[in-house]
Amino acid sequence: MVKRKMEHSILCKNLSYNRILDNYGWLFISFALMLLVIFLFYPIVYSFYLSFTSSKGIVQKFIGFENYIKLFNDQMFLLALKNTFTILIIQVPIMLFLALILADILNDKNIKFRGFFRTGIFLPTVTSLVATAVLFKMMFSLDGLVNTILLKLHLLKEPIPWLLDPFWAKITLIIGMTWRWTGYNMVFYLSGLQNIPYDLYESAAIDGANKIQQFFYITIPMLKPIIIFTTIMSTIGTLQLFDEPINLSSGGVTASSVGPGNSLLTLSVYIYNLVFKYMPNFGYAAAVSYVIVFITAILTFIQFKVVGEKE
Amino acid sequence: MNLKKLLFRSFAYIFLILVFIASVFPFYWMIVGMTNSAVDVIKGKMTFGNQLIYNFKTLTASYNLGKILFNSIKISLSTMIGTLIATSMAAYGFEIYRARTREKIYNIILLSMMIPLAALMVPLFRLIVELKLLNTPWGVILPAIASVFILFFFRQSFKSFPKEIIEAARIDGAGELRIFSSIVVPMMKSTYAAAAILSFTTSWNSYLWPLIVLQTDEQKTITLLISSLASAYFPEYGIIMMTIVIATLPNIIVFFTLQRYFVQGMTGAIKQ
Amino acid sequence: MKRIIAYLVSVVFLMTILLTGCGSSGNSVSKGSEQSSTTANSGTKKITVWCWDPNFNVAIMNDAKAIYTKEHPDVQIDVVEMAKADLEQKLNTVLASGVKEGLPDIVLIEDYNAQKYLQAYPGAFADLTDKIDYSKFAKYKVELMTLDGKIYGVPFDSGVTGLFYRRDILEQAGYKPEDLNNITWDQFIEIGKKVKEKTGKAMIGFDPADGGLMRIMLQSAGEWYFDKDGKPNFTQNPAMKEAMITYKKLFDSGIVKKVSGWNEWVAAFNKGDTATVVTGAWIIGSIKAEASQSGKWGLAPTPRLSLSNSVNASNLGGSSWYVLNGSKNKDVAIDFLKEIYAGNVEFYQKILVERGAIATYLPAQSGEAYSAPDPFFGGQKIYADLSEYMKNIPPVNYGVYTYEADAAIMGIMPDVYSGKISIDEALKKAGEQLKNQINH
Repeated sequence: MVKRKMEHSILCKNLSYNRILDNYGWLFISFALMLLVIFLFYPIVYSFYLSFTSSKGIVQKFIGFENYIKLFNDQMFLLALKNTFTILIIQVPIMLFLALILADILNDKNIKFRGFFRTGIFLPTVTSLVATAVLFKMMFSLDGLVNTILLKLHLLKEPIPWLLDPFWAKITLIIGMTWRWTGYNMVFYLSGLQNIPYDLYESAAIDGANKIQQFFYITIPMLKPIIIFTTIMSTIGTLQLFDEPINLSSGGVTASSVGPGNSLLTLSVYIYNLVFKYMPNFGYAAAVSYVIVFITAILTFIQFKVVGEKE
Repeated sequence: MNLKKLLFRSFAYIFLILVFIASVFPFYWMIVGMTNSAVDVIKGKMTFGNQLIYNFKTLTASYNLGKILFNSIKISLSTMIGTLIATSMAAYGFEIYRARTREKIYNIILLSMMIPLAALMVPLFRLIVELKLLNTPWGVILPAIASVFILFFFRQSFKSFPKEIIEAARIDGAGELRIFSSIVVPMMKSTYAAAAILSFTTSWNSYLWPLIVLQTDEQKTITLLISSLASAYFPEYGIIMMTIVIATLPNIIVFFTLQRYFVQGMTGAIKQ
Repeated sequence: MKRIIAYLVSVVFLMTILLTGCGSSGNSVSKGSEQSSTTANSGTKKITVWCWDPNFNVAIMNDAKAIYTKEHPDVQIDVVEMAKADLEQKLNTVLASGVKEGLPDIVLIEDYNAQKYLQAYPGAFADLTDKIDYSKFAKYKVELMTLDGKIYGVPFDSGVTGLFYRRDILEQAGYKPEDLNNITWDQFIEIGKKVKEKTGKAMIGFDPADGGLMRIMLQSAGEWYFDKDGKPNFTQNPAMKEAMITYKKLFDSGIVKKVSGWNEWVAAFNKGDTATVVTGAWIIGSIKAEASQSGKWGLAPTPRLSLSNSVNASNLGGSSWYVLNGSKNKDVAIDFLKEIYAGNVEFYQKILVERGAIATYLPAQSGEAYSAPDPFFGGQKIYADLSEYMKNIPPVNYGVYTYEADAAIMGIMPDVYSGKISIDEALKKAGEQLKNQINH
């Protein structure tokens, strides 16, 4: 009896202590939450309402679910959806794996000039898109640097029509994205690797584990939260992919299609065009956006499930 | 064994050097570009020219570069500092004091990250006008501070933070805010460094929103300048390249100063 | 521990500095606007102008400002420069949010977009029908800014097109300048084959994904992507079919240098890889940028389609000035445009010589600069020629969906090039797709 009473009082104490901690929880998130409610949630609710309207500029009317129904007859939208997913499925795994390997190598204390390499590899992230777009288009033109080198090395017989063919244009885009974002993701991994005790590698090396084994049995499991983070961020980033396709395709003489045969038309570019380039229809653009949100939410959920994080 | 190691290391170096060249080449090309005339840049000239001084003079004669850089730095630094404080605290709040309501809020926040900015611009613009933030740096900084993606990054990083340390500090009688500011923050230095770099870079390169909010030439940022230079019928590429190189330098400086935290592992912090 | 405190203190310190810095600059902005509004009472009127090309319309607007403010010292004109796409984003966002703040007094709008803005934002732009004498402007230009009988803009630069060619290369292939006069696209291709054979040079730089040439061809026949009611007309449109056939011929002919995007296209003639350029007159600046080719260029009328209604004159691009209805100094803004852009012949000579801007203001074309020979073009009076071509440009109503139509048709071209589908099928498919897309 006495024992149980004691347990009870401890429990009570814990309860009130938990309440205090809970209040701290609110305190810590309050500042960010306040800003998010004002500058993010409010516009979101508003634009959700807009997705049930049709507009030509400011000429607006309520049309219910019509926008969402029309989406499935809109060939441009379906093409954008297909393009975006093709890019997503191919590009994200390649880039993240590459970033992981680079981070792992650059975390090795035996490698010299690490700061130098790190800075260099991070450079594409901060290099202005305007410049890289000019350069990329030059390098990947029919008689550009890339074709010239490949022809000289006899890897090719015919020059590749990098930006002139729908298929190759997508490949060029994937190369461009990987070039730009690998260093970016590497930074996340590098920072994450610092939270892994170095002794772990040392003792593994003593136990005879080679570098590849260390990579798969220490680095990857220990970095799991960060890998999840980068996967989700890259998924979102690709679904919102805008700058690269615009820069690789536009600057066209008078800028018509987005890449040959609209092969670089992504969902975000389509939304942008609906709002700014075409007859402005904010309602329809909002509807497209919410379809993206829906898809991303499902993908994120799957990603969390696949890696088995309890959330 | 040793031979294997050697082989491995040389492979690592070759790989690094290749990636390094691919990453740095465009930057080299821009530096070359700023010494050339527009026609030479378009024609793909890869060697240094003699237009450097002319390009610089034309650029500084037409634009108040100092003011423009100051605007950019002001906005990016404020956003970076605000973001670090707001999001790291929030991430800590979500991760350490887990509660069902907050998890729900967190999920909603994550979901909200997936909505493209283009869809939110009209309502957000109305809001900025109502709050009288139009044409002020605040109209750019405040919406950017609560960066969901940095918040998400912090939370994922806090997941690997050893919770026993917090428990131990609590038993020692340290206050919650104190634990955060004097134990957690210093131990997560590398995470803060990464977040600072990425937040600064994102803000520095941000473009769509500053464009809408900042109305006068007084408030112009460097990204907007590059964009307007590049959209001419006849783009002056030599001058554009020079502007881009100038615009890239602060990013490189920030990265280079903060990256040293990537080599100070947490083991050291624990041993202290 | 001390270090951490010091660190935190310095962060807070830095933050305060930045915040107060921002705060004070924010204040100075509001102070500035207060000042301008108080001084406005004492006489100074401020006009803000948005435009996009630092070497072209921005520079020209600054010239106009200098002339106008000299005679009207009480007017202050603020020319804000931004990228064209940026300007459109900003204009759309502000107009759509329905707030009155954040708009300029005068804005430059590309001609293809004029109807779209006028119809999407009714009441946003000032009706200038009775303020400007439109009989003095090129007819095709006035047409595109007219909505329901009211005229809204002040015409600015012309996108009159021409066939710019390298005299030396064509001579080497055995052609005289006269041989290029008033030719069809089929003749153009034939000449191209000879040029390729004799000199090894490509006839023209060709971006297969770009609709610019298509629009040149359509307008040369007085047609567009739409019928009279603004409905997409892809299938009952002989000019469009002929243009598609020509695109395919060009693609297959082996006489084009295939390029992707603006830079590569410009580089093609700057490097001397191609013998001709067919585009709007605004390209002259880019052509002249390669000084080593001076004297080697010539100009002939635009090739026409093999259709009876197609002429050797067309247009690509061009833009006009519009006054916002909500402007506080609307009358001053209109007076400014009227005095300079619809009345000052001298000004037009200056901007032609210095910036290469070709006026659509007809009286300007009798000025001396327009009849001067151009040494870069071998002494040819190209501006007099271009003014002549301009008179023949068939007026076209661009409607509100030009970019949608362009994307639809150019999107299907790869299948046409590869022969996967016939031109009739492509027109039908693209037409249907466009109808679905704009029907919301």
